[in-house]
Amino acid sequence: MQVEGNGEESGITNRRFALPVDAENKSTTFRLFSFAKPHMRAFHLSWFQFFCCFVSTFAAPPLLPVIRENLNLTATDIGNAGIASVSGSVFARLVMGTACDLFGPRLASAALTLSTAPAVYYTAGIKSPIGFIMVRFFAGFSLATFVSTQFWMSSMFSGPVVGSANGIAAGWGNLGGGATQLIMPLVFSVIQGAGATKFTAWRIAFFIPGLFQTFSAFAVLVFGQDLPDGDYWAMHRSGEKQKDDVSKVIRHGITNYRGWITALAYGYCFGVELTIDNIIAEYFFDRFHLKLQTAGIIAASFGLANFFARPGGGIFSDLMARRFGMRGRLWAWWIVQTTGGVLCALLGQIDSLTLSIVVMLIFSVFVQAACGLTFGVVPFISRRSLGVVSGMTGAGGNVGAVLTQLIFFKGSTYARETGITLMGIMAIACSLPICLIYFPQWGGMFCGPSSKKVTEEEYYLSEWSDKEKENEFTSH
Amino acid sequence: MAIHKILFASLLICLLIQSIHGATEVIKLFSKLDKGAFDVTTNTSRGGVLDAGKDKVIVTWKLSAIGSTHESEFKTVKVKLCYAPPSQVDRPWRKTHDELFKDKTCKHKIVAKPYDKNPHSIEYTLERDIPTGSYFVRAYAVDANGNQLAYGQSTDATKKENLFSVQAISGRHTSLDIASVCFSAFSVVSLIGFFINEKRKAKLEQRQ
Repeated sequence: MQVEGNGEESGITNRRFALPVDAENKSTTFRLFSFAKPHMRAFHLSWFQFFCCFVSTFAAPPLLPVIRENLNLTATDIGNAGIASVSGSVFARLVMGTACDLFGPRLASAALTLSTAPAVYYTAGIKSPIGFIMVRFFAGFSLATFVSTQFWMSSMFSGPVVGSANGIAAGWGNLGGGATQLIMPLVFSVIQGAGATKFTAWRIAFFIPGLFQTFSAFAVLVFGQDLPDGDYWAMHRSGEKQKDDVSKVIRHGITNYRGWITALAYGYCFGVELTIDNIIAEYFFDRFHLKLQTAGIIAASFGLANFFARPGGGIFSDLMARRFGMRGRLWAWWIVQTTGGVLCALLGQIDSLTLSIVVMLIFSVFVQAACGLTFGVVPFISRRSLGVVSGMTGAGGNVGAVLTQLIFFKGSTYARETGITLMGIMAIACSLPICLIYFPQWGGMFCGPSSKKVTEEEYYLSEWSDKEKENEFTSH
Repeated sequence: MAIHKILFASLLICLLIQSIHGATEVIKLFSKLDKGAFDVTTNTSRGGVLDAGKDKVIVTWKLSAIGSTHESEFKTVKVKLCYAPPSQVDRPWRKTHDELFKDKTCKHKIVAKPYDKNPHSIEYTLERDIPTGSYFVRAYAVDANGNQLAYGQSTDATKKENLFSVQAISGRHTSLDIASVCFSAFSVVSLIGFFINEKRKAKLEQRQ
C-alpha cells in the first residue's frame, strides 16, 4: 500500500531507515562511516563521482610541462585552455539545476558524467593547441556534478545537518583538484617506467581519470536513489511527487534576489579557488624559482586542504545555526569570506617564500570554508526551485573564476603578484552583498525577523500561487 | 587538522633544505662568460625540417683561436641543444636569463665529455622528446666544481644564422585512438541503456 511521504512519522510508513529521519524522511544525523541506504549511500556515491570529475577536469595542469612540448603550446594557449576548462560548466551548472528538479540528481549527474567521459578519453588523441582547448572545455562541463551533489544532499539531509553534508560532499569532491596534481604525475611516471616514450605516456595516463569517471557514474546509477522514498520516476508515476512546470520553477528561481547574491559571493570564494588551482604552481615556480615538482607539491597542498576546510565550513555553519539561527550562518559566512579576501590580497605582497606558503595555506582554509558556508545558506533560499538556485550559485562560482582570470591573469597586463592582490580586494568587495540577504522568518545580518511573524512554511508556500495550491489539494 | 600540520611541517623542511642549497650557489652571469671559446659546427643529415627520434646532427667542437683566459680550469665540455628566439616567443619556460641558474635556453643535453685540446665530433640522433622548434648548439666549458667558465655556439651572437628546425614526434598511436573511441562509445551506449531500463521500470510500475 502506498502511503504519503509527507507529514507522516517514519514509524508508521512501511519504509524503514537506518538513520533517524524527520517528517520528510530526510536524515537528521550524519554518519560518515556508514553506507546505509539511502542517505549515507547517496553521500558516498555523490562525493566520489564529483571527485572523479574534478580529477579529470584538472588532470592536464600537472602534466603541462610535457603536454606543452608535445603540442607546441604557447603561454596564451595554456591560459585560454585554463579559462575554457572552467567556463564550460557555467552553462552546464545552470542547466543541471533544472535537470535535477525535473529528472532527479541520480540520472542528471550520471548522464553528465558519462557524456563528458569521451572528452577525457579523446585527450589521448589530440594533435594541436585547438584540440587541447576543446578537450579541456568539454571535460570541464563535468564540474556541474557539483550542483547535483548539493541538490542530492539537500534532498537527503534535513536542516540541522544539511550544511555539514553539503560541505563534506563538496569538499571531498573539490579534493580531486589537489589529488590530481599528485595522481597524474605518478601515473605518468609509472607508464614511462613501463617503457612508453614521454609524448605517448601522458596520453595513456588520461585513460585513468576517464575510466574512474565512467565507473563512478555506473555506481551512481546502480546503487543510488534520488529521494529517501525512492526514485523520481517511481514517485512521478505513483503520484507522490508532482511533476512541476519547468518555466515556473525557473522563474521562481531567478526572481529570488538571494540566489543572485549567493551566486556573486560564491564567484569570489569558489571562483578564487579555481583561479588559484590554475595559476598557483606557475606563480611559485616563477617568483621563487622552485623546481616544478616542488611547485606542484605546493599547488597540491592548496587543493588538499579541501579535505577538512570546506567540510569545516559546512559544519561551522550548522554550529552557528544551532546557537544563532540563520543570522549566525550569514555572519559566519561574511566574516570568513572577507578574511579569505584579506589573506589573498596579502599573499601577493609577500616576498619571502616561507611566509608566502604559510599565508597561502591559511588563505586556502578560509576561502574553502567560505565555500562550505555558502552552501549552508543556499538550501534555505527556495524549496520549489532548489535546483535552479543551487545551479545559479554553482554557475556563479565558475563565472567568478572566468572573470578573474580574464581581468587579472591573461597576458602580461598585471604581474602575477599584483593580480593576486587585486583578486583579494575584489573578493572583499563582492562579499559585501551578503549583508543584504534577508529572510522574513529568520532575519538578516543587521535586521531581526519580520514583525509580521512569517513562519517557515509560509515563506516556502509563497513560491506557489493560490491556484496551484488548490490544484495540489483537489488532485488528492 | 593533523594532516594540515604534517603537510605544513614537511613543506617547511623541504624549503629549508632548498634554501640552504641556494645559499651555496655562486651567482654567475652569462654575459660574464668567455664568448667564442669554442668553434662549434652542426651538420644536419638532410636538408629541411628534421624528424625527432630519427634524424641525426653531426656536432663538432674544438678550442677556437680566441680561446679563453680560464682554459687551465676547463675540466668538462657540456654540449647542449638550445632554443632559437622564434621558439622562445610566448613561452616563458624557455626564456633566456642572464643569471645562469635561471637561464632556460639550453635544456636538452647532447653530450658531456672531458676537455682536451683536440677537435671532437659526435653524431647526435635527435631524441624523441625534443619539441618542435628551431635550434642551435652550444658547448659550455665547465670547471671541476660544475661552474660554467666559457662557451661557444654554432650560431652568431644574435642567434639568427645557421639554425635548424626539428619536428617533434606526435606521440599518438592508432591503438590509443581506437581505445578512446571504444571507451567513449561504451560510456555513451551504457548511458542510453540505463535510460531505456529506467523507462521500462517506470512503465512496469505504472501497470501495477
